[in-house]
Amino acid sequence: MSKTVHHSYYSMGTRFHLMLPGVDEDYGFRIFQKVKNELNRVEKKLSRFLPQSDIYRLNIAAKRHSAKVDGELFDILKACKLCHEITGGAFDPTLRPLYEYQQKMVGEFVPDQLFFDLKDQLGFDKVQLDEDNSVVRFGSHMLEIDLGGFGKGYALEKVKNILENSSVKSAFVSFGESSVLAFGNHPAGGFWKIGMNNYLKPGKTVAEFELSGGSVSTSSNFYLDDNGRLENHSHIINPKTGEIDSNQVAVSVSARSPLLAEMLSTAFLSMSDDEIEDVVNQYEEVSAAKADYSSGSPVITRYEKIEIAEDISV
Amino acid sequence: MYLNRKKFLEMTAAMAGSTVMASAMPWFSVFNNPAPFGMGASDRVRVGVIGVGSRGLTLLYNLLELKNRMNLEIAAVCDTYEPHYERAKEVMNGEAAAYKDFREMIEKTELDAVVIATPLHEHAHQTIECMRAGIHVFCEKAMARTLDDVKEMYDAHLETDKIMLIGHQRLFNPVYLQAMEKIERGDIGPITMLRGWWHRNTPWVFYDDTGGRGTALDRQRNWRFYDEYSAGMLTELGSHHFQVANWVLGEVPVSVMGAGSINHFDDGREVYDNFGLIFKYPNDIHFTYDCITSNKHNGMQVQVLGNDGTIELESNMWFEEFPAEPPAVQQLIDDITDDENATIPIGGATWIPNAPIRLGGRYISPDYELNDTLLYMEGFLNFVRKGSAPEKLTIEGYNASIWTLLAEEAAKTGKEVVAPERYIL
Repeated sequence: MSKTVHHSYYSMGTRFHLMLPGVDEDYGFRIFQKVKNELNRVEKKLSRFLPQSDIYRLNIAAKRHSAKVDGELFDILKACKLCHEITGGAFDPTLRPLYEYQQKMVGEFVPDQLFFDLKDQLGFDKVQLDEDNSVVRFGSHMLEIDLGGFGKGYALEKVKNILENSSVKSAFVSFGESSVLAFGNHPAGGFWKIGMNNYLKPGKTVAEFELSGGSVSTSSNFYLDDNGRLENHSHIINPKTGEIDSNQVAVSVSARSPLLAEMLSTAFLSMSDDEIEDVVNQYEEVSAAKADYSSGSPVITRYEKIEIAEDISV
Repeated sequence: MYLNRKKFLEMTAAMAGSTVMASAMPWFSVFNNPAPFGMGASDRVRVGVIGVGSRGLTLLYNLLELKNRMNLEIAAVCDTYEPHYERAKEVMNGEAAAYKDFREMIEKTELDAVVIATPLHEHAHQTIECMRAGIHVFCEKAMARTLDDVKEMYDAHLETDKIMLIGHQRLFNPVYLQAMEKIERGDIGPITMLRGWWHRNTPWVFYDDTGGRGTALDRQRNWRFYDEYSAGMLTELGSHHFQVANWVLGEVPVSVMGAGSINHFDDGREVYDNFGLIFKYPNDIHFTYDCITSNKHNGMQVQVLGNDGTIELESNMWFEEFPAEPPAVQQLIDDITDDENATIPIGGATWIPNAPIRLGGRYISPDYELNDTLLYMEGFLNFVRKGSAPEKLTIEGYNASIWTLLAEEAAKTGKEVVAPERYIL
């Protein structure tokens, strides 16, 4: 039997849990404080809700003129651009204005000319990055960056760094249950077994990932509350149509990098099977599962890297 | 959600029958039950403002904002300092009589109420004389420079049966209203400690062209630096937070100890530029408080620490010690305890926050557009119409001032100070 140090608090709009099996309580508390300070720092930098954050200020400044940002934020925007490109535009943190536009409409949404005009002005390809000078400029005054599909993965990357530089051998981190990091091995032995929750039967799993030093991120268009009640919170914009995606689909992505898992899980929600497979095949140790609940029971599709047999011909 | 006037009134109406409203903040009910009035001259409340410097001018502007909707007449303004006197005349555009002597003002202009925002050492005699002249008083904090003056003001309030309210505007702040409800409901568990601080990086010089510290003009204008007129940051800043601590705990301290010094702005001022205090309250609860004017890193705050959470009143935040564990996390903890490696059904968000969450906490109140000083002025004018105000509101100001001056004594003597019997209500 192993004792586990467990700390939790609210971060980035959700619940953060850190579990450290087998560590001394004082040491575990120190690690938690370090993690908490770092998460608060990241939130202060990336939250579009906080008027002092770098993103808040960038969203105002870069519409009007070229805005100089620090190295960390510039690297973040470069990572977004890379993911935007490798997912064929499916990962796009500039689409929130489309969501807000549709939210204002009463009744069933029917796209109108204003909607199409707005859609034309958005897209991460309109974010201009001047690498030599760390300068950012938005190509449209309607553009805004919302790092909601990025921040938790980035924060988990930072948590992973802290754990790697500590004497912790094993840890489990949950960020709103949708982004988890499994560090080292499970204290009972073996990899951590992360199940993709069955939305129709909460507590049961529809797919599993085995992890050691990696992450699983899950994105979906809907949530369950703690009592298993379904809350339909359609909030994902389909970058192809610009409309709020109403499919009842959840996607989990497992990757060594929490940030990669986070970005891909958001993007995969609106990508076809072929497109997902193409991306999965580009990366070592990336796999994914999609659960489609449209038919009333989950239909699962797995995406694994296809290993090409070594050419043994002579 | 955005807390506008309508939502605020809905909130105070919903809380009207609650224990916390009745016991801790009965004055909030005045917004749902204002004094009835017509728009004729006989229903008009006539107000004078004594002291129209920086704070007095703000209060004057607040009164002007209320003028039309409350059938209010700002009948007179008064200041001994020529530039402020002239400025007030200009603001009032000839619509108020202007005086340099408050006695002349209350003698010559018929007034129902006055707002006093003069230097601290003037408060007592002005307040007492106004009440004895049959005029209700709103006086800026703190009440007075000496304990005896504070007590005399309170006794005069009882003797004349006139309203005497002290300008601790947090008493009318919607965040504090909701925080008090949370505390009462037990959201942060039993309170175990309070912490507060007010940190700024400023020499705190209000007027530069006075000829330097010690001149007659500097003593008049920068009166906050002189022991005869003020206890410096203790009376001008700290008293606000001491009032909050008393209010939150529903008690006055048992004792206070502390220390203070001038260690940075040693320019001839006589009051501390930094101090630290510990107030002991009943039930072994302590309130630690510090104030500095040479470093602003920490800003200002009052934290209420409970066994289950923390409330940060100045930043409108509430932090839970133990956020609810989602079922999957609980299963994982149980599995590790049982040395079992089972699959954790965790992938997928399972929780929807019902309030915005920022930086580890939640907002106590939604964003609001309400100005607590304006609400206090509105409350005061309503009480004037009714002829009385909740006594608890007056007592909040009284106890804050008494304990501010006892804290000054503690810091100056290095002794643990208790309230002499004659000052305990």
